[in-house]
Amino acid sequence: MKINNKNMIDRKTLLVLVVLSVFFVLFVKLVYVQIFLHEKINHVVEKMVNREDLEIPKRGDITDAKGKILATSIKKCTIFLDPKAIEDFNEVKEVLFENGIKIFQKNLTDLGNTSYVPVAFSVDVDIVDKIKDKKLKGIGFKNKYTRYYPEGRLLSHILGITDNEGKGLEGIEKIYNEFLSGNSIITKMHRDGRGRIIQNKIVDQSKICGQNVELSIDRTIQFIAEQELRTAFEKYKAKKAICIVQNPKTGCILAMVSLPDFDSSVKIKNVGALRNSAISDIFEPGSTFKIVTVAAALEKGKVKLSDVFYLENGKLKIAGHTIKDDHKIEGSVSLGKAMELSSNIGMVKIAQRLGNEDFYEYIRKFGFYSLTGIDLPGEARGLLMDVKKWNALTLPNIAFGQGIGVNALQMINAFSAIANDGVLKKPFVVNKIEKLDTVTETFQSKETKIRTVVSVETAQIIKKLLKNVVDSGTGKRAKIKGYTVGGKTGTAQKVDPSLKTYSTKYYVASFCGMVPAMNPEFVVLVIIDEPMGASYYSSSVAAPVFANIAQKIAKYLDIEKDDVNQI
Amino acid sequence: MRKSFFVVIMPIIVSVFVYLWQQNTSVRLAYKVSTLQADYDKINAENDFLRLKINSMLALEKMHKIAQGKNLERPDEKSIVCID
Repeated sequence: MKINNKNMIDRKTLLVLVVLSVFFVLFVKLVYVQIFLHEKINHVVEKMVNREDLEIPKRGDITDAKGKILATSIKKCTIFLDPKAIEDFNEVKEVLFENGIKIFQKNLTDLGNTSYVPVAFSVDVDIVDKIKDKKLKGIGFKNKYTRYYPEGRLLSHILGITDNEGKGLEGIEKIYNEFLSGNSIITKMHRDGRGRIIQNKIVDQSKICGQNVELSIDRTIQFIAEQELRTAFEKYKAKKAICIVQNPKTGCILAMVSLPDFDSSVKIKNVGALRNSAISDIFEPGSTFKIVTVAAALEKGKVKLSDVFYLENGKLKIAGHTIKDDHKIEGSVSLGKAMELSSNIGMVKIAQRLGNEDFYEYIRKFGFYSLTGIDLPGEARGLLMDVKKWNALTLPNIAFGQGIGVNALQMINAFSAIANDGVLKKPFVVNKIEKLDTVTETFQSKETKIRTVVSVETAQIIKKLLKNVVDSGTGKRAKIKGYTVGGKTGTAQKVDPSLKTYSTKYYVASFCGMVPAMNPEFVVLVIIDEPMGASYYSSSVAAPVFANIAQKIAKYLDIEKDDVNQI
Repeated sequence: MRKSFFVVIMPIIVSVFVYLWQQNTSVRLAYKVSTLQADYDKINAENDFLRLKINSMLALEKMHKIAQGKNLERPDEKSIVCID
């Protein structure tokens, strides 16, 4: 009995010892794990549970003056495969194929030793949802915003382009990139045991996403200008063509077209097409510049409207060079008639009365050889020789628009100053910038007066002269139904780079006009560079384009008809 | 003894229960918010896509081409009747 009892005690002791030793081993392991391995394990868990993601916000929209979307960003997906996580490669291939994505690799090993094999880009969200519903392992999705331009080529130069990362490279996309792009943030997320994501911070998308930019441009006016200009561009097989429509009262740009153009949504092959000729290219304006000569002389009191000028029977010799009139005018004519018939000799005589210093002062006052300050990239300043370096031919040449380089925007802005009773305004293309889905305005464009160039009286006289040019002068073909038009033709010779002299083959035909003539609501500039065909004269090339554009815009803007003879 | 047990232990049990319930509810709500956020993002994306589609369909150049294809012409001003 005693022996039995002793055996029992031994067994019990043994059992206790075994249990205690198991617990001791566990305790040792626990100490090892908690004290010696805790950092390593913590790191692994952190990696499994926590996830950091760079949240790239939606880029703001660009709209026209009436809120129509011109550029927007849409969420698209990049689908990638993780070969290490794929369980059934054939099923993965099948599901992707059903959704229009073909995998060319036959075996899983063909995908290589990587965890990221992109198989489809810019996939629509609904297709992604269909694939996600299958809950297959080894398929990953990466969201990315893609930029779209629903109007295609319309306004391509103004809108510009973005790179693959969504950064603006040209046009409004570049200038307002800071506002459009929004703030990227890093979000921290946790994953539960099933791999579901729990965000520890709710991100207010409206606070981080880019801001909307509203342009002053009206897409209908832009379309009218673009259609008409494209027709002329193709008809005359021109090298370039430009059209700008401006509201002279505020300075805001209603349309700006440069041809050739490009489609922002398609990969651009010809980088040269990105150049916005309307602000980046300079040209010799020709006779359209004559308004500056006449306005300056009238404002300075050096000439009067009643003054008469002898036009030298169409040929005037200065410093060994002969200045000619395109249309030979015999005898003497009044200042108004010289303007109507676009006499070069008449303008030279007016400018000579003005003198170098005063003429230079007014050229600069009208904004030439200065940046207009428009909110678009790549504006050219123009070319103008310092007045101290002018020779005997400089003043006569500039008087009729040769020997000076201007950009199209400077030219229309000068006409707008006349249309706006002598007040030069700063041109702009952005009306306002506001937060997406809110009404908070960050920035609102205000019309900015640059300076008063000429008096109201002088501006009124010039407007009357411009009206006469269209009524009975060189700009007859710019007439439109129901409205009075004031404008000026310009046919400038281009410099032949090989001969380094003015070409007799290449011209720039331009027309700048305003409607209605005496109280203009809009100003239109049309430039056709190197028109080919029977005629290169502005009166038959650019003026009809102006008429077509102005007629449609006047109707679209519902401007009250003022030409009593034609109503 | 029994009374004192209830006085001491019960508040502790209730507190623990409330704490656990709160933790559980917050996790449940976090899941719900997460799901709703995902739904919201999805609807937003769909909305953006539809807006793009509408704007692409109403693109002036596209409409002009369709009109040209159907031989439609701009009506004469006199033949337009405005109805108030």
